[in-house]
Amino acid sequence: MLEIKNLTKVYDDGTVALRNVSFEVEPGEFLVVIGLSGSGKSTLLRCINRLIDPTEGTIIWDDEDITALEQDQLRHIRRKIGMIFQHFNLVKRSSVYTNVLSGRLGYVNPLSTLLHHFPSRDRKMAMDALERLGIADQAHKRADELSGGQQQRVGIARALMQQPKMILADEPVASLDPVLAHSILGYLEKLNQDEGITVFCSLHYLDLVQRYATRVIGLRDGQIVYKGSQEEIRRMTDEEFKDIYGEEAVRVGVGKSEEADT
Amino acid sequence: MTDSSISRESEKQSWIPAPAAGVISLFIPGLGQLLSRQIQRGLLLLASTVTIVLLLGWRINLLAHREPTIWAMITKAIRRRPFFIGLVVVCTVILWLWIALDAYRGARFGGPRPRGGLKRRGARVGIFVLIIFTFFSLGWQISEIDLVKMIAELPDAWPPLSRVLWPWAAAVTRDTQEVSAGAKILVPCGENPPPPPFEEPDKPYMVSTPTCGDLTQRDANSRDILGTMLNLRGMRFKPNTETEIWWEDPIGNEFQIRQKGEYVTVMTDDRGSFEIDVVMPYRLMPPSMRGRQIHQIVAKQISPVGGLKPSEALLLCIGRMVETIFMGMMATIFGIIFSIPVSFLAARNLMSGSPITMAIYYVTRTILNIVRSIEPLIWALIAVVWVGLGPFAGIVALTVHSIAALGKLYSEAIENIDRGPIEAIQATGATRLQTIMYAVVPQMIVPFVSFSIYRWDINVRMSTVIGLVGGGGIGFLLVQYIRLLDYRSAGIAVWFIAVAVALLDYVSSEIRQRFI
Repeated sequence: MLEIKNLTKVYDDGTVALRNVSFEVEPGEFLVVIGLSGSGKSTLLRCINRLIDPTEGTIIWDDEDITALEQDQLRHIRRKIGMIFQHFNLVKRSSVYTNVLSGRLGYVNPLSTLLHHFPSRDRKMAMDALERLGIADQAHKRADELSGGQQQRVGIARALMQQPKMILADEPVASLDPVLAHSILGYLEKLNQDEGITVFCSLHYLDLVQRYATRVIGLRDGQIVYKGSQEEIRRMTDEEFKDIYGEEAVRVGVGKSEEADT
Repeated sequence: MTDSSISRESEKQSWIPAPAAGVISLFIPGLGQLLSRQIQRGLLLLASTVTIVLLLGWRINLLAHREPTIWAMITKAIRRRPFFIGLVVVCTVILWLWIALDAYRGARFGGPRPRGGLKRRGARVGIFVLIIFTFFSLGWQISEIDLVKMIAELPDAWPPLSRVLWPWAAAVTRDTQEVSAGAKILVPCGENPPPPPFEEPDKPYMVSTPTCGDLTQRDANSRDILGTMLNLRGMRFKPNTETEIWWEDPIGNEFQIRQKGEYVTVMTDDRGSFEIDVVMPYRLMPPSMRGRQIHQIVAKQISPVGGLKPSEALLLCIGRMVETIFMGMMATIFGIIFSIPVSFLAARNLMSGSPITMAIYYVTRTILNIVRSIEPLIWALIAVVWVGLGPFAGIVALTVHSIAALGKLYSEAIENIDRGPIEAIQATGATRLQTIMYAVVPQMIVPFVSFSIYRWDINVRMSTVIGLVGGGGIGFLLVQYIRLLDYRSAGIAVWFIAVAVALLDYVSSEIRQRFI
């Protein structure tokens, strides 16, 4: 589904964020990338939908090379790849509803959206998405009036509006407390399992990785230093994690069970 | 004293023995502290003492610069301003000695924070209280504060002040009707004095006896040599009405006659007749007018008729107030229009791409800062030279200042924009325009509107005073009324300004609150 070959990213200031990274993402998997801050996780995720242009290498998505696309074609690919962010990246002053609707921008007529007009089908879809994430009653509040967990759910709803084949999640729970972390990852897992949306997610905490990942890659200094299957990661000890990670493994410490997933 | 050994251990050691520090500070205040390694304290005390002595010297020189010796100057200055000079001299002397003592104690017990408890700490701080007190006394004198005058001259200030505070008597006026009759006077007397005026039935009529005479003259010492006394008799005027006596010279100038400082008036009786004696007034005639001239003496009854109507001052104030508000509005709109492109050039995050854009950024920022630091009133002075007196000059001045102020505020808003939402909207596959509409505009709109309203507020406020330097608007009217000593009309303008500014304040804060 997605094949990354020899991906390298060098920033203008000379920082090498990614060094010859190659791996594949299979359809329907929950792939987690682990690594320290600054190890290149965010750059990797952003290269996939070209929020950041890679310096070298290719990214093949359904037999198309994303790195070679023109703006127009790129937009078509982008709308099939949802993205959620550590800091939610909602437009704080717009309503929850508008934020969710903006997930449709890649599909609708650009001119009519300038007047904030969306087809009724899209508007119904937005309410359905909010319903699904349990925040339909917040639809007309301003985005910044919501709590962190609710804001991330808005972020997921926005990604869902794209009817994505894949969701990129850049540390989606790093600014949430452990209970909410399970709640948000639970939603992603549900989407992954029920609708077969591929999830490519960066995470920090070992127990979250063990609980949700179906496959793991480890990144250190822009290079892949670890590839492990679900079984391998489940068996992993803190010491091994530390080796990949380069520092003390951190556990969230709150129950890994589905009960937290409310 | 007992804890001195402890404090000496904990503080920096003095370079010189304590008595030496005291003596040195006695000659040059603060030097002792410097040498006992209390650098900041020493410098501060030195600077304060030098400033105080210089200022005191300046004031003494102003009071007694003719005296030959310094001692004589000081004694004369004290004689002229005993309280002030005495106070400052005593303060300076105390301060001087105190600094010497402080240097000794500082060197002996060490450090600016002695361990002697509250009492000694109070003494170390007290020196600065004394310095501030001395500066306060000097400042009182230099800025010519005179509370006695303020109280004593309040009665003089009250009439204009009360007119400004409650000017509404001048806000309305009534039409007037004039009833008058005149008599011709030959100056000086000649062979054919003018005959009494032609008498018409039902019209007011006045005769003068005689119908010729001499005007009041002034001698070399400006003393009046009274002119001929005229006996005036009038009839068929309005009964029981005050009648003014006016003089009209051959070139048509009219003025109301004064005698002993009062305007000459007379009340008509029940039948509308009056009789009064008037001395012919002083009148300086142009040198070209030689020989005999015919003047005229006129009796006038001016009485209001009809209903109240708004006075000219009120109408002018309303007109100018409207002009003022629109000046503020136009300046704000122009300011917004021009400052938007400027603000992009002054936003660091947009301009950090290359050295060339960075250079543009720095140049724009510098220009904005310079333009902003020049007050609108000064811009108005320049604009008046440029486009002439009137509201346009005011608009130009306010616009220039608004561009600089708004440019800076907007550019800071652009710099503070959150990249996150832009990234998120891009990731949905939105076009560039959609990204701007959905991620940039919602972030910009609040600071944009808020800064614009704030600027409108400032501009209307400024446009009320920009007229003082010829920039049009109500300030222009206000300064004219004040120069004409027309305090009532000035009061109307002040009221308009106050009400308009207060209203605008309220409205703009309401809008901002609703919006944000």
